[in-house]
Amino acid sequence: MWERIERYCRLNGVSGDEGLIRNAILEEVKAYCQYEIDAMGNLICFKKGMVTPDKKLMLCAHMDEVGFIITHVTEDGLLKFTTVGGIDSRVVLGRAVSLYRTGTTGVIGTKAIHQQTEKERETVVDVKDMFIDIGASSREEALGAVTPGDCAVFCTEFEEFGNGFVKGKALDDRIGCAVLVELIRSKLKFDTYFLFTTQEEVGLRGAKAAAYSVDPDFAVVVETTTAADLSGVSEQKQVCCLGKGAVVGFMDRAAIYDRDLYALSYKLAVEKKITAQTKTMVAGGNDAGAIQTSRGGTRTIAVSAPCRYLHSGVCTVKKDDVRSVLRLVHELAENIL
Amino acid sequence: MELRNTIETLCRAPGISGWEKNASMAALNLLKPYAPNAEIDAFQNVLGVVRLAEEGKPTVLLDAHIDEIGMIVTHVDAKGFLKVASCGGMDRRLVLGQEVSVYGRKELHGVIAAMPPHLTSSEDGAKVPEIEQILIDVGMEKDEVKKVVALGDRVSIRSDFHSMLGSRVASRALDDRCCVAVILRTLELLQDEKLDCGLSVMFTTQEETGERGAEIAGYRLKPDIAVALDVSFAHTPDADEYKCGKMGKGPMIGMAPSLDRKISAEFVRLAEEKGIPYQTEVMGGTTGTNADAIGTLCGGVRMGLLSVPLKYMHTPIEMIDLADCEAAAQLLAAYLSEVGKGE
Repeated sequence: MWERIERYCRLNGVSGDEGLIRNAILEEVKAYCQYEIDAMGNLICFKKGMVTPDKKLMLCAHMDEVGFIITHVTEDGLLKFTTVGGIDSRVVLGRAVSLYRTGTTGVIGTKAIHQQTEKERETVVDVKDMFIDIGASSREEALGAVTPGDCAVFCTEFEEFGNGFVKGKALDDRIGCAVLVELIRSKLKFDTYFLFTTQEEVGLRGAKAAAYSVDPDFAVVVETTTAADLSGVSEQKQVCCLGKGAVVGFMDRAAIYDRDLYALSYKLAVEKKITAQTKTMVAGGNDAGAIQTSRGGTRTIAVSAPCRYLHSGVCTVKKDDVRSVLRLVHELAENIL
Repeated sequence: MELRNTIETLCRAPGISGWEKNASMAALNLLKPYAPNAEIDAFQNVLGVVRLAEEGKPTVLLDAHIDEIGMIVTHVDAKGFLKVASCGGMDRRLVLGQEVSVYGRKELHGVIAAMPPHLTSSEDGAKVPEIEQILIDVGMEKDEVKKVVALGDRVSIRSDFHSMLGSRVASRALDDRCCVAVILRTLELLQDEKLDCGLSVMFTTQEETGERGAEIAGYRLKPDIAVALDVSFAHTPDADEYKCGKMGKGPMIGMAPSLDRKISAEFVRLAEEKGIPYQTEVMGGTTGTNADAIGTLCGGVRMGLLSVPLKYMHTPIEMIDLADCEAAAQLLAAYLSEVGKGE
């Protein structure tokens, strides 16, 4: 499972450019299911279970990750860019990025602290004022290596650290992808659809299209969700904590979850001794928002791994929590219908 | 060793002000072939005599600083997060969400904690944190952290050594490891040259916290003439053009009241004569480099300054052009080949 998560995180796939990660998933599931790739690049898989129920069950995770997209190349050979998905300007400056289509490395710098005014030192630099420097000294040289529309991701190290923590880019939501792949490759109780979506980070767009096609009755979204369990943050504002298990919330900014499925999740967690926690704030949002309102409505729940520093190059999760997510999703898949 | 490899080797060794031993050791190993008696002093400075001066000839000292900016652990809080202070001029606008190494009893990896955007009010989002406010997450409980990390241990933002387009590279600590490499390259160029001067080298500590190592090591080496090698600002669109050099246009020859006018002029003359690319950097008083500290040692030292233009100074992704380093070494070698002639 962790080998797979690491491999998926190392693959680059910014929203709208999910080909590499989709191919990797496909390679590992195609022997186990029927599948199709739709017009938006979603990968929709169907696997027979031991029982064919009246209702349709769908599990969902998104393949895309946040990143950057090149918008313009200046005469000096610098790249102007914008963020794809919600990235805080404060975690962008002073990093290296990979323009992965061509394997070009860039850096996002600033003039030296010595040259900044007092006011500048206290002011967050907005992404619109930043540029990526690939070492080119002219537009011509830069265009030999990149082209507007190319995407970039943070260059960070995927690694385990501390006491069972893992950090890296794209854990949101390659963890969900790996959980789904794990289940596709296992023996299932019910016939199940597995949906790997595109463009979640730019407005739950892949899920909207694919949920229409699949037309599920029940859906479980497998995700990562923001945890702010840091010193100095009040208990309520921490939202959820690393080490306290799978997160099943009652509401976020995209969906109010199905009350019965919420209750079922905790019932199963208690019965099966799976650590689980709710969210203490209405924050975040995911594909559940698009799936729940698709067609005549889908009864939907989300199970997430709590994640610190979400949408940065150093998303941080605890391995135990991811294990709880896998177990709880597995239980839900067998008991939801 | 090829210039790029030398710089990479030097950059990969950590050496934050006041705790430079790893970087100093890497530099010492590279200096030994040219100065077999080179050593590390009590302040972790690297000192080496390459050649002794003949009677009546001057001794020239080459300096580059070995330390880099970073942070120092000041507290471990109840949840096991580390609190830190700056060691040198950290840019606080770029610290959140960075990967770090904590150099405790063993090296720990961690992350500088950042509050997620959906939980920061727009007002907080616009705030640059004080270094004293940030939290370093090493993924351990307080008791475990305390077994490995002591107050006073150093922390560094991690970065890889990146190859960019052309002959450009990016890394942390290029300020001033690239100039350590320039000096080593100069020694390589001069290996078989006859010189009319004595030649000493020092790679000095604690420059970023006030040019302290150079004061100590420079005193011990007692030069007549010294050339400091440091990095200076290469232009980027967010900076004033007239305050910067240009990357790829050659080393910047320092000119300032605190520098010896004849040495500056000699650098310009030699660059012109040998067709070595160069730029000038004129400052109104002192230079903000070790040149300021060395110049007043031992009754006064005639001081020169050569700088390699560098973008994004004091960030983990400082960038240089290797061609500028090579040109700096060529120019310095040309100068050393002539200094002391006729004295």
